[in-house]
Amino acid sequence: MSPDTTGVLPREGVEVGGVRAALLRTRAGRGEHVYTVVRWGGAGLFAVVVVALLISIAGSSGQALTHAGVGFLWSGTWNPAAGEYGAGILVVGTLLTTAVAMVIVVPIGLGTAAFLSELAPRWLAGPLSTLVGLLAAVPSIVVGLWGLIVLTPIFANQVEPFLASVPALGWLFRGEAYGPSILLASVVLAVMTLPTMVALSRTALAAVPVADREAALALGATRWQAVRRAVIPAARSGIQAAVTLAVGRAMGESIAVAMVIGNRPAIPSSLTAPGATLGSAIVNQFAEATPGIGTSSVIALGAVLLLLTVAVNAGGQALLRSGGGHRGGTAGALR
Amino acid sequence: MITRPLTRGWKNTLPLLALLGVVAACGSTSTAPSATATGVAATAKPASANVLGAAYDTTTTSSVTLTGAGANSIEPFFETVFYQYGQKDTNTTINYSPAGSSVGVTDIQQGTVNFGDSEIPMTTSQLAAATGGTVLQIPVDLGGVAISYNAPGVPANLKLDGPTLAGIFDGSITNWDDPAIAALNSGATLPNLAIKAVHRADASGPGYDLDQYLIDTAPAWVTKIGTSTPSRTWPQATVGIGEQLNTGVATYISQTSGSIGFVEYGYALQNGFVNADILNAAGAYVAPNEASIAAAGAEATSLSPTDFNVVNEVGAGTYPIANFSWTLVYQKQSSTATGIALGKLFDWVVTAGQADAAALGYAPLPANVAALAHSTILELEGSNGTPLFAS
Repeated sequence: MSPDTTGVLPREGVEVGGVRAALLRTRAGRGEHVYTVVRWGGAGLFAVVVVALLISIAGSSGQALTHAGVGFLWSGTWNPAAGEYGAGILVVGTLLTTAVAMVIVVPIGLGTAAFLSELAPRWLAGPLSTLVGLLAAVPSIVVGLWGLIVLTPIFANQVEPFLASVPALGWLFRGEAYGPSILLASVVLAVMTLPTMVALSRTALAAVPVADREAALALGATRWQAVRRAVIPAARSGIQAAVTLAVGRAMGESIAVAMVIGNRPAIPSSLTAPGATLGSAIVNQFAEATPGIGTSSVIALGAVLLLLTVAVNAGGQALLRSGGGHRGGTAGALR
Repeated sequence: MITRPLTRGWKNTLPLLALLGVVAACGSTSTAPSATATGVAATAKPASANVLGAAYDTTTTSSVTLTGAGANSIEPFFETVFYQYGQKDTNTTINYSPAGSSVGVTDIQQGTVNFGDSEIPMTTSQLAAATGGTVLQIPVDLGGVAISYNAPGVPANLKLDGPTLAGIFDGSITNWDDPAIAALNSGATLPNLAIKAVHRADASGPGYDLDQYLIDTAPAWVTKIGTSTPSRTWPQATVGIGEQLNTGVATYISQTSGSIGFVEYGYALQNGFVNADILNAAGAYVAPNEASIAAAGAEATSLSPTDFNVVNEVGAGTYPIANFSWTLVYQKQSSTATGIALGKLFDWVVTAGQADAAALGYAPLPANVAALAHSTILELEGSNGTPLFAS
């Protein structure tokens, strides 16, 4: 580094302590200038790219929005062949698949995380965590292919007919057992979001002080009661953050969902009926060659998906704040 | 998988991507020694090196990589003929991405590939949107669309006509023992089994051809979809289920009992599917095979990119859902080496390469169509507007 021009400041490497050093640091040389430029430049560039992306998405979806009006958001028809474009049914499909996926993944993910961090012997916890990590590394298209090739026939021939025959719940699963369905898409989404759910909740559980567990145990709680009454409540905010991230991932997934949902843009009559989501509709229509309203509508779907994701994230953040968890390392890191 | 959708879906949004496309195009045209190759070819133009028609003209001296994208239906054919061509002409490397006809059209419009391929020729407005000038459309194969099914108890070669097919795909026929199906197949015992109709979720050539056939033969279909113009995007998307590409539809049919769907015949053959006999304009029920698809192609006596429809042709032996696949290249080639390699490749594909067609579920091009393809290839030009090939 170059020597200082002022002559007052110490050269680099000279030890200066305390407040003086902190004051000097801002003017301590060219390196600091470069760092400042990189810092502001990087942040600025990132902001510019995001804003440019938003502007171009808004601009390109303009034609669809002027064509269909705000009704695009809830219009029930998505039929590109007839030139009818509306996102309503796709929004329903997106929210439905995400909700069902969360119903599946939250208990399983939380249970796995609690098992790994609280109950599992070390020789088992290590390999099991590695397995969950491996699952996170599987590309979504591979999960989708697995859903299409392996799960589809099982769902069509066994799972869906069985569910439809369950006495009190059959109405939820009625209709023809195609295989590809809202339910199958939700299962695939649950598999894809499981690693997120497990890894983040486990971190949150691990951040709960040992003293909390010991206190619960000392009061006569069983291990299960200690986990349920003391550890999980203390890690609540971290677990909520895990769910928020999993929800975001599930809503935005497109390729894998398109392979297993049946791509039927209609309000599903049951959980085993085929459906369509914003993501799957984008995948199927992106190559539509005709420029104009078709392309614009597909981009508008992206804009709607973006809004939905932002809304869900904001909701999650609000929950975190109102939940008032003081611990939960993951949540703290995320905020 | 992320990059492909981005370059398509956002193609009009991000000028940056267009810029990348240009850079990529420049990259591919200026591969390795193209500067010298261009010089050599320019001076040697009148020489016989660039005459087409020799069985294997593999005199390409510089290595060239040809990148293409487009129809999924032609993939089994292209895969085989490109491999064989590559064995003989080791200087030419060919990459083909079977992402669908719509992608083939978009990519050639944007100039991100050396050639595109579409089951349906480009329309006037699509041609006008091409960024690199005049697009030449070369018919390269003749195929059919099979109506394949996997329904235990249903006999092979089930007879179906337009109105019945329309009923299956618009949801008014939902069971294999429906009276409408039974009426066409007297004597056959049909099982009480739910029909699971599967169609293409993406815009497709086979979907367009079947839509055309149903429009021609089933008035109720026209009423239902509200138009008599066929569409690449399947018009009855809320009936049955949609799967992506021929592979997705074929996967679904092969593993689901009660299913019926449409795939390029080449895929039906590969998968060993049971196919329906379809009623043609002469009143005969015809199974898809090399002979019946060739018969449909033979009716195309005045084939051109604007007169390409060979659906529901009149001959007694014709399979009614057939089509030609069209390779799309720019007439003006910025790199002479690339242009010559393209011309040689596709001239071989439409002549000697057709020998492989039958085994793969396609029919060889009729002589008049091969001649059209050859004369179209002769229109290829270098960047200065001079023809690349001597006739």
